[in-house]
Amino acid sequence: MPSSSLSSPSPTQRLLGSAQLIYQGAEAKVYKVYLRDPELQQIAKHADHDTCSMAEDAAPVLLKYRFNKRYRHPSLDASLTRQRVAGEARALMRCLRSGVNVPGIRMVDAAGGVLGLEWVDGKSVRVLLPGGSEVMVAQDSDATDDVGPDRCEDAALAEFGVERDDLLSMIGVEIAKMHIADIIHGDLTTSNMMLRRGGKDLVLIDFGLAYHSSLVEDKAVDLYVLERAFASTHPDAEPLFNSVLASYAKRLGKHWSAIKKRLDDVRLRGRKRSMVG
Amino acid sequence: MEAYHYPQFNTVVYTAKFKDIKNAEALRSRIVKAASLDGADGEAERDAVNFAFIEAKLITSSLHLETAIYQALLSESQGSLRTKTIHSEIIWALNPTNNISEAIKLFGVSGRTTDLILVHAATSDTCDVQQKMHNIVDGRLVPMSTIPDSTNWANVKKHYKLNGELALMEIASDSDRERTVIDNIVISTVAMKSVMT
Repeated sequence: MPSSSLSSPSPTQRLLGSAQLIYQGAEAKVYKVYLRDPELQQIAKHADHDTCSMAEDAAPVLLKYRFNKRYRHPSLDASLTRQRVAGEARALMRCLRSGVNVPGIRMVDAAGGVLGLEWVDGKSVRVLLPGGSEVMVAQDSDATDDVGPDRCEDAALAEFGVERDDLLSMIGVEIAKMHIADIIHGDLTTSNMMLRRGGKDLVLIDFGLAYHSSLVEDKAVDLYVLERAFASTHPDAEPLFNSVLASYAKRLGKHWSAIKKRLDDVRLRGRKRSMVG
Repeated sequence: MEAYHYPQFNTVVYTAKFKDIKNAEALRSRIVKAASLDGADGEAERDAVNFAFIEAKLITSSLHLETAIYQALLSESQGSLRTKTIHSEIIWALNPTNNISEAIKLFGVSGRTTDLILVHAATSDTCDVQQKMHNIVDGRLVPMSTIPDSTNWANVKKHYKLNGELALMEIASDSDRERTVIDNIVISTVAMKSVMT
């Protein structure tokens, strides 16, 4: 078991070698993988279960691998990677304990730059709202398989048994729960939300830029980032985003007025508070 | 008994759950004694109890246990075990704090244990693991899928400090839902222990 000489790849590298690449970004690659051989061997027949009981097969996990950045000094790179894996895991843990729908954590190898997360079976919210599927066609071909390109997002929504208004209000509720727990997502877009198959859960994903803050400013900026993302991805976004805000406001209760006021300020000046840099 | 294959570690992990354990206290003192025996007898005795003995009542699902096994295998491969063996490391990984003796007291076998999970990690397929388990445990072998049936959910909540968390307050009325949420938080806690602070 203990073997990690320089010549042989580490277990995490070997795991990545068996994984299926599903997305590559500038910061990380995303894979689908099984942590153990998915076929479980049931060796013993159990005395009180005459028929061999149905064994639970392994569920897949999503691996987020922050690969080496050759443009950084190796020791700086190692420490940044470690910190970011740890930071993302902590933000997810805080969300889980606060009842925000996020993927569970399944494996952490901070030194290897790998975070293993629960595999969420569902679709990106981006392709479920009008306009979003156009750019995503290449990655999500099944969305356009047998429906015309015009109304495919409504067909996809129908498949989940969810109305568009319900989806928008679920988004508002989930962001509100997160902000009540003083977590700022840092990169709210419709690509970073998924509707779980079954249609009951809206799951927030990608907490790579998340941080902890109770400031009204940070929450307002978080919403502003989402508003801009809506505007740039979905045509006629204003009523869509207003539905999101309405359910956000309802969930937030008395704290909403301060955030609303600040959101109006942020809209006038943009995301950066100071004009430096 | 079940076998989990981890090709990336060149390791096979055998797990089995036993119910109605009758020799818990004798087993516990046997494990303690084995550690201090000298000579060939000591070697044989240590080989006989070369398992992780885990209190099944604090385990919420087989994925909970598998997550602890995975993080322990990872620590071993990186030469960063916090305890002496892979088996004690699995018990340590299950405990939410870093105290080793507290981990063994809580998640190891005690005099009150009635439901027990045995784990053995090996580098190759070995056929006599189940016989070795039966040699030391006086209890009834049941499938790993029965783990949630013996879980003491109140104690799990206490030890993983879940009481008062928002995630559980909202759904307190729906016990099936609550168990799914507890399981997910507990699994995540074990998985991220290495970066918790």
